[in-house]
Amino acid sequence: MNLEQPPSMEGFLSFFIYVVPFLIFVLSFVTFAILAERKVMGTMQLRSGPNRTGGRFGLLQTVADVFKLLLKEDTIPKDADRTLFKWSPILAFVPAFMVLAVIPFTKHFQFADIGIGLLYYVAISSLSVIGIVTGGWASNNKYSLIGGMRAAAQMISYEIPLVLSIVGVIFLAGSLNLNTIVGAQQSVWFILYQPVGFIIFYIASVAELNRVPFDLPEAESELVAGYLVEYSGFRFAIFMLAEYVYMFAMAAMTTVLFLGGWHPIPYFEMIPGAIWFAIKFSLIFFSLMWIRFTFPRIRGDQLMTFAWKGLIPISIINIFLTAIIYEILS
Amino acid sequence: MIGWLKGMKYTLNQGTKEKITYQYPEEPIPLPDRFRGIQKFYPEKCIVCNQCVNICPTDCIQLTGKKHPDPKKRGKIIETYDINFEICILCDLCTEVCPTEAIIMTNNFELAEYSRSKLYKNLDDLNNHVTNLREENKA
Amino acid sequence: MLRTEEMILNVGPQHPSTHGVFRLILKIDGEIIHEATPVIGYLHRGTEKIAEDLQYTQIIPYTDRMDYLSAMTNNYVICHAVETMMGIEIPERAEYLRVIAMELGRVASHLVWWGTYLLDLGSQSPFLYAFRDREMIINLLTELSGARLTFNYMRIGGVKWDAPDGWIKKVQEFVPYMRRQLAGYHELVSGNEIFISRVKGVGKYTKNDAIAYSLSGANLRSTGVSWDVRKNDPYSLYDRFDFDVPVRQEGDALARYECRMAEIDQSLKIIEQACEQIPSKGPVLGKVPRMIRPPKGETFVRIESPRGEIGCYIASDGSKEPYRIKFRRPSFYNLQILPKLLKGENIANVIAILGAVDIVLGEVDG
Repeated sequence: MNLEQPPSMEGFLSFFIYVVPFLIFVLSFVTFAILAERKVMGTMQLRSGPNRTGGRFGLLQTVADVFKLLLKEDTIPKDADRTLFKWSPILAFVPAFMVLAVIPFTKHFQFADIGIGLLYYVAISSLSVIGIVTGGWASNNKYSLIGGMRAAAQMISYEIPLVLSIVGVIFLAGSLNLNTIVGAQQSVWFILYQPVGFIIFYIASVAELNRVPFDLPEAESELVAGYLVEYSGFRFAIFMLAEYVYMFAMAAMTTVLFLGGWHPIPYFEMIPGAIWFAIKFSLIFFSLMWIRFTFPRIRGDQLMTFAWKGLIPISIINIFLTAIIYEILS
Repeated sequence: MIGWLKGMKYTLNQGTKEKITYQYPEEPIPLPDRFRGIQKFYPEKCIVCNQCVNICPTDCIQLTGKKHPDPKKRGKIIETYDINFEICILCDLCTEVCPTEAIIMTNNFELAEYSRSKLYKNLDDLNNHVTNLREENKA
Repeated sequence: MLRTEEMILNVGPQHPSTHGVFRLILKIDGEIIHEATPVIGYLHRGTEKIAEDLQYTQIIPYTDRMDYLSAMTNNYVICHAVETMMGIEIPERAEYLRVIAMELGRVASHLVWWGTYLLDLGSQSPFLYAFRDREMIINLLTELSGARLTFNYMRIGGVKWDAPDGWIKKVQEFVPYMRRQLAGYHELVSGNEIFISRVKGVGKYTKNDAIAYSLSGANLRSTGVSWDVRKNDPYSLYDRFDFDVPVRQEGDALARYECRMAEIDQSLKIIEQACEQIPSKGPVLGKVPRMIRPPKGETFVRIESPRGEIGCYIASDGSKEPYRIKFRRPSFYNLQILPKLLKGENIANVIAILGAVDIVLGEVDG
């Protein structure tokens, strides 16, 4: 699509027509991602997971859950900041969805092929913490306040290694354009050139997603539900949606940056790129779930130490090493 | 560094194991014979000795007896027998002291009701209880 | 001007990690705790007062409900107290059955602790793994006693039922199974770096503190005091078994964790030996008068429950009901050290410390 056209009704409509089906696709992905997570969790924990609603495999469980959430009473605490309380789920959801625009799923399936796609992704994705902090603060609940504060501290800290770890990728591809980055991985995926970068990116993305072992903002056993304590009904649903859409974006981004996007592994070229993308994406997604079922939660101060004294120095060293080796070899 | 990898392997291995959950309520849960559920009461066996009332730790049993209708026979027969399952703790002491095994335990444990009044089970309720009776009552 | 304010955070009585209805009022500055005040009593049922109006046999089901995770030890302590007062001889088979039941209960209780503690620390799966194996113990005990938690199995002078056919064999098969599972648990959790960093050095106290606060069980043994009533003041048949008392020196949450995990192993060892030694036949109820009337006087007995030293004091006036009965409930005593431990800690550590103490609110509140 031409992004440089002047604003017009036709332009708006054409974008709208493209985006609505994609939104529906993402929503259905989230629906089944939640189901998949619960199913995998059930399997690993020796139980069956959802198996009542929608046949033997509980295929409609999440749909039923969503309808239940939509039908629930919309409660706002008496002393809450009503405006912010209402806005924060949207503030959390919009950036998570916006970043999907730049992700190249296949060679042709991409919404906006902008030159600074990677920068756009990093910049926009870090905005969703604002929704979480405002939500935590506006609820006027001590648990959610602590949860929101933890979220802010954690996401700001992990934003840095997240960005630093992909500098190596930018070096190697020589571009911030995600299409070019995927194109540069035609022969060798960047995970082989940038293993350290990949590990740091992966850890930082788990932290950005607030998932176990970095789920401190929600910390069920400490803060009950963290910033979500006072949210119920469809506002809660939107927060959950934002979380899973962001997870979708992160897993897709990992695929694009390090696993060669839609590129097949050699000798398997007959399988189309979209399927390759889906396979790699699912692997990342599964590993995110797998980690969640295995690990306990890390403590706040350890989390900070880990980011500032561990990941950031290593990623800086990684940048310099990449630069030096890149200079020597080229 | 190795510790967490071992844990990951463990959880993955568990995925291949057999499920251990029951498909309750479609499939009934297998319970041993000694299980203590809602009591079954045989009015014809009862001799109105009141031992169950005396031993009950929560005083949830109430009974009344009347004279035997056949004037030649001595003793009493049971007239009303109520157990209040709001406070019954299914401790098994009533069946333990019963000299004629007029009250025994069953394997039926589903006591959830919409109304409290349904938790007051009278003689008929306890008598009509015919499934999953305990076979061996005295050790 | 920038300033910070103290905030009062009310944790519980409805909170996922207080293991029941326990309330903790925390004065926090940011995430650092300045003061912690535990509030107990939400589950107080007045067991001791109710027991004054009950015959001794009737008290036994009430003791089930104190420490509901290991009801067998509670059953035992009241029976043991009355038996000591009346000088009742217990048949050997009954005593062995009691030991097996108690040790199975101890394993089940430690498994629940292990699962919930990991759940407190944010790990979900161990809880389900622990409950899978606990379920097997519960099934064994259900076969034996007829109930899943509130066993009401022991009677003054013996036990209610003899073991059903093949039950001992099932227990014997369970022991190696549980050993394998235990090895799996160590694989899953004990070596995990995140877990170790969460519990190492957390909630530390010294030997002297532990003794001064009258702690018992793993809370005491984690500081290097080798004190286990089973060993130091043997009751029942514990002098016939060969087992160790796991002791750690560090006094932190990790030491308590290790102690409890090692205790599971030792309990399995005891079960194994008891299953071999148990006489194949014999009565399970001794010669007990129809109406239990202990002689006038008083007595105190203590045994080792999974949570520590549980004691029972009975003052009898010679009637069929106790004049006064008092339980020394280990959870209640172990909880006393909590305000001291929590001072200056991080909020995330509250859960790690409280969980490591291993309380059961039914027992704390009586």
